[in-house]
Amino acid sequence: MSVPLSQMWTVSTYVLGQKLRGRKRYPLVLMLEPLFRCNLACAGCGKIQYPAHILKRQLTLEQCLGAVDECGAPMVSIPGGEPLMYPHIGGLVEELVKRKKYIYLCTNAILLKEKLEGGVFTPSKYLSFSVHMDGLREEHDDSVCREGVYDDAVAAIREAVGRGFRVTTNTTVFDGTSPMRMRMFFEQMMDLGVEGMMLSPGYSYSKAPDQEHFLRRQKTQELFSQMLSHPGKRWRFNQSPIFLQFLMGKRDFECTPWGMPAYNIFGWQRPCYLLQEGYTATFQDLMDTTRWEDYGRASGNEKCQDCMVHCGYESTAVDYTFSSWRGFRETVTATLGTP
Amino acid sequence: MAGGEGPSPASSLEGFAAEATDAAALREIVEKAFDYRGDVTVTTRDGGCQVGYLFNRNHDVPHPFLQMLPTAGGLPQSILYADVVSIAFTGRDTASGKSYWAWRKRKEAERAGVILPPDSPSASGG
Repeated sequence: MSVPLSQMWTVSTYVLGQKLRGRKRYPLVLMLEPLFRCNLACAGCGKIQYPAHILKRQLTLEQCLGAVDECGAPMVSIPGGEPLMYPHIGGLVEELVKRKKYIYLCTNAILLKEKLEGGVFTPSKYLSFSVHMDGLREEHDDSVCREGVYDDAVAAIREAVGRGFRVTTNTTVFDGTSPMRMRMFFEQMMDLGVEGMMLSPGYSYSKAPDQEHFLRRQKTQELFSQMLSHPGKRWRFNQSPIFLQFLMGKRDFECTPWGMPAYNIFGWQRPCYLLQEGYTATFQDLMDTTRWEDYGRASGNEKCQDCMVHCGYESTAVDYTFSSWRGFRETVTATLGTP
Repeated sequence: MAGGEGPSPASSLEGFAAEATDAAALREIVEKAFDYRGDVTVTTRDGGCQVGYLFNRNHDVPHPFLQMLPTAGGLPQSILYADVVSIAFTGRDTASGKSYWAWRKRKEAERAGVILPPDSPSASGG
């Protein structure tokens, strides 16, 4: 168990509150992308493949906070682009902490040491740096298409942990990943003192340029089973254990595309973080006018058939936890035991 | 879609242009422009044109429209489908050649001491 109790409490009361109000669809994590600009050009990332004038644009601080208030989710993930390149990132985090939002600042950590030394951030239970790490040195540098990034990230993690910040890692698992080396990677991350790790399978969403390198569903389950069976005693994951069981093929869930809505310079992204099928001007429009029945495996939508990504399924796992005593009991058991 | 010219759209639409001869053709070309990772030029019935990134469209409303962020900067511009005459894929396709395997090939060539020319597809990855 690596998610702090206060965060668990906040999420639990929020989800139960939504259920008591009878809300069938509610957001759990806002994916707030202040910019698409990045200091890396990873082959697997479709987020940076834009004309220069789009990469120069960014949300204003007011737009970011407006989206946070409009959405109302208790957790805010700040991906991008590279959010540490956002000039207002310090102010944004400060305002989110004031609002008692649990923040996952997703970064490649290249600029993290510099920002920490510059005093841009203050440690808080609400702030977690979620450092992008796709495996051991060789795999990670391959994944981000630049050598030396793994070492920079490790140095930044040490610096952040040493300064008392919450640090997690986020790892995209691609086809061809060695389960054994991934298990070694988990040990290395625990050695660094990270609070927990987050895993998600790479998925071939339509705008990612590297289509052949992503995982299909059966392969995903086999790979995650090999990686996570008989887990190391020190391994901690900063995500629902029920979701990890889903990745291992032990459970079957349906997608919850509205669980992690995304907001960026184009507006509210329809229907989810991965598929870009259009934008709405308001969160309410997104919720009210998206044909949700067209997405998820049961819909038959071919784009959704192989997807097992956290942005669609972790919310499902959390909702399952709070939908019945059985779900709650199973989650507690999985949290205390093994995935 | 009619009036196509330029390179085959099978690889990249860069340099391609099409006129909206009817509603189906218009919808098809707008969808392609929406998926395109470069700027486009939309010519309208009043003889004007808008150059920018087409980031959104909605044909499920009484008056279907598309939205662009102008290359020159400024606020999003909305254009009704009914006003569109043609769309040209005038900006560079920023997704073209950016594959993991292209990067791997370049890296392997570097390790072998081979310098690929800058215009090689394998030199543009990553």
